[in-house]
Amino acid sequence: MSNEVIVTKDLSKTYGHGRVKVTALKKTNISINQGEYIAIMGPSGSGKSTFMNLLGCLDSPTTGKLYIDGIDVSTLNDNQLARIRRKKIGFIFQKYNLIPTLNALENSTLSMSFNKVGSDDRVRRAKELLDMVGLSHRLNHKPSEMSGGEQQRVAIARALANNPSIVLADEPTGNVDTKSGNKIMSILEEINSQGETIIIVTHDPNIAKRAKRVLRIQDGVVSEENA
Amino acid sequence: MLKDNVNLAYKNIKERLSRSILTLLGISIGIMAIIALMGIGEGMQEAVSGELSSLSDTIIVSAGGSNSDEFDLLTTGLGADNGYLTERDIADLNRIQGIKEVSTQLTGSGIITFNSENTYVTLTGMDIDNQNLAYDNEDLSSGTLLEEGDQNKCVIGYSIAHENFDTEISVGSRIKINDEKIVVKGIFSKQGMGGITSTDNIVILTARDFEKITGQSNIKAAIVRVTNPSEVEAIAEEIEQTINENHGDDDFASATAMSSLLETIQNILGILSMVLIAIAAIALVVASIGIMNTMLTSVMERTREIGIMKAIGAENKDVMLIFIIEGMLVSIVGGIIGICLGVFGSQGMASLLSGMGAGGPPGANMTLTPVITLYSIVLAVSVSLIVGIVSSLYPAWKAAKMSPIEAVRYE
Repeated sequence: MSNEVIVTKDLSKTYGHGRVKVTALKKTNISINQGEYIAIMGPSGSGKSTFMNLLGCLDSPTTGKLYIDGIDVSTLNDNQLARIRRKKIGFIFQKYNLIPTLNALENSTLSMSFNKVGSDDRVRRAKELLDMVGLSHRLNHKPSEMSGGEQQRVAIARALANNPSIVLADEPTGNVDTKSGNKIMSILEEINSQGETIIIVTHDPNIAKRAKRVLRIQDGVVSEENA
Repeated sequence: MLKDNVNLAYKNIKERLSRSILTLLGISIGIMAIIALMGIGEGMQEAVSGELSSLSDTIIVSAGGSNSDEFDLLTTGLGADNGYLTERDIADLNRIQGIKEVSTQLTGSGIITFNSENTYVTLTGMDIDNQNLAYDNEDLSSGTLLEEGDQNKCVIGYSIAHENFDTEISVGSRIKINDEKIVVKGIFSKQGMGGITSTDNIVILTARDFEKITGQSNIKAAIVRVTNPSEVEAIAEEIEQTINENHGDDDFASATAMSSLLETIQNILGILSMVLIAIAAIALVVASIGIMNTMLTSVMERTREIGIMKAIGAENKDVMLIFIIEGMLVSIVGGIIGICLGVFGSQGMASLLSGMGAGGPPGANMTLTPVITLYSIVLAVSVSLIVGIVSSLYPAWKAAKMSPIEAVRYE
């Protein structure tokens, strides 16, 4: 188990009760190793978001088990899940989701401050990361003063701040132009080449093609796609 | 962490500046009211204490029966019309242990005529010895007190000399009291603060002149000074018993220690202050609802932001802290502004109140200086802190309870 970062055992999620019960994810068994680069594809309503939310510890499964770095997270409470999210998981959202009142540097340090990292260490780490995504000239810019591509790169810096085991990117290039999209993808690939596990949810077959492993979701069933 | 939260709160307040200022104003007004009204209340108490504390060794003895209590003394002057002290009473008083001195005074009403204008006054007749015990030449702004052998002379209060007549009376002026020609020998300095001890409206005559003018020689009251102020209550009781025995009437005399009068007045002022502060507290409750309302709106507007923070690892307590600190920041800043406004406001209110006093009955005008105590400032700061915490608690709890999934999806 030592290099398996994600293991699911009959992972299921059901919404509602009785007759309006909808099973969004059906008994899923997968395992993802440290350093993998995975794309998850599937049409809208396929259960993709449900799967993402479970992997990201934003939601708890109805039945089954989910292990992250060997920890069974399926039985944790809200605050314990929050702790897993900030230590183990880095989120990248389609709509960047930066805090509008904070500048690039502050946005990148925020999750470290929740993680009780000292102020000097936070700033040093955030500057390193912003430098890596090519934004050292934008430290004091607020989200509204940056382009979509730049905002997404700040979001990448934020996601990496606490050295997560997994980076979960939900349509990371969905809201930016092709050139910025390519830049974001090459940053993510660069991070992956340094050993970071990357999971990308996407509609775009071109992006999926760049991944080393593709998972396809249809009607709540996750299947492996062989390249 | 705290520094980050304060920074975050500051940015959010700045982002919604006009709304924050309005919320802050609510707190400021509430705190201002509390500070100002406490200052005024404290000022009133000090004015009264300052006036009366020199009288801690004094007992006012008056004949007049059961209804002659402290309030009658203040409102109607000395003694009701149903009895007088006798020479024997005064002699008995002098024999009571612990009494330093007894001074009697005659009291009656009269009309002063000056330049064909008339005014009603209360006349006081006293022996020269008694006058010299009660007053000093330093109490006068001009002239001197009466002396042994003076005839048809009087000493008058500041208001009578300078306010009651179109032409001011000065030392040497000839006035008429009940048609008797009298020369003014001295004029008291302005005293201001009213009550039983004010000299502003006094007219002092020798006992002999008093009898000649009014045709009365009745002792309505005696002023007793005791050696040891701590015995004043006990001695007052003994005086009452002694005089009541002399007259065979349980309710004949009343002996009131001025210190107990002071206590009574302070109690009344204390209650008055509490009422004022309770009114101010209503303003604070309204302000607190204002904060809660603003914070709830802010939580709604920032649903997405809260979701993001939770998604990247904020625990419920982190989210709560962000909103509570924001509420506290608004209320603390509002509180500090309120304290400043309150300090100035109380000065304004005091001069307004003093001005009103001057327009009222003479002798009732006192100069009121508001007293802002450290206690009231500490109270105001802690109240605003508590208001900030309490009113942001519910919005903060609502924010903390949000599901990160729904919050992130929120548009």
